[in-house]
Amino acid sequence: MENVVIAQQVEFSYKTVLPDGQKVDKKAVNGLSLEIAKGSYTAILGPNGSGKSTLAKLIDVLEVPDAGSMLVFGVNTRDEDEFWGIRENCACVFQNPDNQIVGTIVEEDVAFGPENLGVPNPELRQRVDNALKDVGIYDLAQRQAASLSGGQKQKLAIAGALAMDPDILILDESTSMLDPNSRDEFLSVVERLRLEKGLTVITITHDMGEAARCDEIFVVEGGRISMHGTPSEIFADDYKVTAAGLDLPVHIKLTSEIAKSIGARLTSDQLVSEESCIETIRDMITAARVTAAAPDKAPEVLPDRRKILSVEGLSYSYDDGKTKAIEDINLDVYEGEVLAIVGKSGCGKTTLISHLNAILRPQSGDVKLYIDDRTLSASHKKDILELRQNVGLVFQYPESQLFEETVFKDIAYGLRKMGLSESEQRLRVHEAAKAVGLSESQLVKSPFDLSGGRKRRAAMAGVLAMKPKVLVLDEPAAGLDPRGRRDMFAIIDELRKNGTTIILVSHNMDEAAAHADRVCCIGHGKVLAVDTPDKLFADEERLKQMDIAQPALFAFAGKVKAELKRVIPGAVFDLPKKTAEEEAEAILRGCASASRTKESEGGEHA
Amino acid sequence: MLKDISLGKFVDTGSILHRIDPRVKVLMYALYLVAIFMITTPAALALMGLIVLAQLLVARMPLKTVKNTVAPIIPLTIFIFLLNILTIKTGDVIWHRWKITITDNGLERASIMAVRLIFLILSTSVMLTLTTTPLKIADALERIFSPLKVIKVPVHEMAMMMSIALRFIPTLIEETDKIMKAQISRGADYDTGSFLNRIKGYVTVLVPLFVASFKRAEELAVAMDARCYRGGEGRTKLNPLKIVAIDVIVGLILAIGAVGPVVLDRVIRSL
Repeated sequence: MENVVIAQQVEFSYKTVLPDGQKVDKKAVNGLSLEIAKGSYTAILGPNGSGKSTLAKLIDVLEVPDAGSMLVFGVNTRDEDEFWGIRENCACVFQNPDNQIVGTIVEEDVAFGPENLGVPNPELRQRVDNALKDVGIYDLAQRQAASLSGGQKQKLAIAGALAMDPDILILDESTSMLDPNSRDEFLSVVERLRLEKGLTVITITHDMGEAARCDEIFVVEGGRISMHGTPSEIFADDYKVTAAGLDLPVHIKLTSEIAKSIGARLTSDQLVSEESCIETIRDMITAARVTAAAPDKAPEVLPDRRKILSVEGLSYSYDDGKTKAIEDINLDVYEGEVLAIVGKSGCGKTTLISHLNAILRPQSGDVKLYIDDRTLSASHKKDILELRQNVGLVFQYPESQLFEETVFKDIAYGLRKMGLSESEQRLRVHEAAKAVGLSESQLVKSPFDLSGGRKRRAAMAGVLAMKPKVLVLDEPAAGLDPRGRRDMFAIIDELRKNGTTIILVSHNMDEAAAHADRVCCIGHGKVLAVDTPDKLFADEERLKQMDIAQPALFAFAGKVKAELKRVIPGAVFDLPKKTAEEEAEAILRGCASASRTKESEGGEHA
Repeated sequence: MLKDISLGKFVDTGSILHRIDPRVKVLMYALYLVAIFMITTPAALALMGLIVLAQLLVARMPLKTVKNTVAPIIPLTIFIFLLNILTIKTGDVIWHRWKITITDNGLERASIMAVRLIFLILSTSVMLTLTTTPLKIADALERIFSPLKVIKVPVHEMAMMMSIALRFIPTLIEETDKIMKAQISRGADYDTGSFLNRIKGYVTVLVPLFVASFKRAEELAVAMDARCYRGGEGRTKLNPLKIVAIDVIVGLILAIGAVGPVVLDRVIRSL
């Protein structure tokens, strides 16, 4: 097959000038070589800062290599006369849709690209309409771009790229802000366009589920390709994948956990699809005739649950009562638990959490916090300051709110506002920094010099330092790479162990299932269900009714169990488990109990 | 909070003023600008007020939008009113205490200035920003000033810059709101304390806002590059501007509305 992108030993550095006039070259791509075939679906994976986005820019001639060569459609990107031809046929969609929207009205923005290409009118109109239909926002054509939700904006950015009728579509973390249902919808649109139009799709992503759908994966580390292969080849090597700062897609993760327990070895051809993984698990278990497995861990018993926060009949509407954001919300939060709040984007999650520390005051209903035999109420003006100190709110992308000269000062900001003594401030800043894993040397740096993940932790520390009883985290892992996510959830688990009550807002159902004690589903401004994750997420019917996606692990484990029940009659399985490790053991236990009953039955017959 | 500010925001009600050619609106707006500064008599000002009101009604602007458009400039209006009333010393003294002297001339001038400013904002809004999308305004300006390209004025670039600035106003307002909420939840207080303290408090908002804006600008430039933007040369338009009969008719009516108060003003003054 013809290769549309050929990179050979490409090198590229960003040139920056320091305040003191010194010029510094920061190497972003360092001897990178790859080939991408026409019509293929390629994933570029790798930690943040590894050079993935630079690679996208080098393909789209937004940057030109310092050394080596980059050929796109057979043309060297350094060719000054030809590079427009490449750019016209290669569309890029970047991570933050807000910074790509040029037009005020949706259709004006979609038209921006083809207008630049000089597409004449009847065709131009048709392209705009088709692109809007392709991503499913045709009915929003006349809306103002600024009034769209995050997910809709992301679709708009993609429509703008599609309207250019490209041969190569590069998606640079373009699905990161979509909720799981919209993401799946979008990925099927991309798949359809690829097959219909022979589009070459290159996706830069941290989503391993998305990567598993691709034909080919390139892993970028330190500005060069460290691994290359089909998804099953890459993900067959658990150790290498983790070392590269990646994760396994859940179906491969569960398969490899079961293989580990049994002591079987996996080959990449056993992992090519979900179906082959299910078959592999079935064959491994029937062949090994599992008889014993580790006993189930005693379920974690929460210490006596004391109510710490309650939301009572809370309603809030915008535009003088015309748009109801939330309606009659009732919710109790217990001391020491992690409560996840999930729901589609625009369902009212952010409005709800903004009430928890009285950033928004209740229009009707109330929010109450119970501390030290006292009750603080959001509707009492005198309680508000105390409420804000005790309910810490970390908004989405909190790193965009840093402002001080040093990290130390930024963390101490809230403490100064509380009027604490210098020594107490110092103590608390150090404690908070330690809790989020920031070192002493980082405290004296400017917050703007930290890496993305560290910036976020510094912003979190600023809230933690105030020692809130309840910590509300809005999408704490948004935009982080898999390693950053793991670190973030390690911090959250640690905070929970130390007794902080945590409310976690997320659209990632797997994370909600793995880290929450209870899950609250919100839809159209109302509480749809509150339950433990295993019960809530196991009930497919109920989830469908609520239009909430099932965690990928639960969905896959469900399929595995159905297949095992078919071949091993008598297998009884528990409710789904939070992690792949626990689920693997639970599945083996379920099968083992079946073979034991069978053996004892057999004994009776003899 | 900040989200309510309507300045620079497009409000689509689908009225006739929304639909007419933006070039007509820009030219008529220029006419109103001149007219508003030419009239000084109360009667003419009152007539102008009625005409601006009629425009708001024709544009079917909700009362709330009108209120939110005027509200942010009230402090400036008061400032200009005070400045005029306190500095103009000509005419008969109508009030005097300590070092403050207010004259009838001063009061008149101050009132006229304040009223003018409010008319100015209202007509800017109703003729342009509230009824016309920024891209259309830019488009109109580019076409109107395109003859200047001959003498190397970067007309297209200026129009593009303006439309992007306008496009990002709602985004920046939203961002400011978000940052303020985050700082409030860390104990910031923007409403109490001395004036100096309040100004200082805004540093916590302005720094992250600036940092984010530079980042936005950088990313937007790359995104525009990626979408093959290379200046005005060879661009086509999704909705090309076309002047039809209705544009001319509405234009004429608007022109009469601008000229009428000026004529009245001249007549009254010549009496």
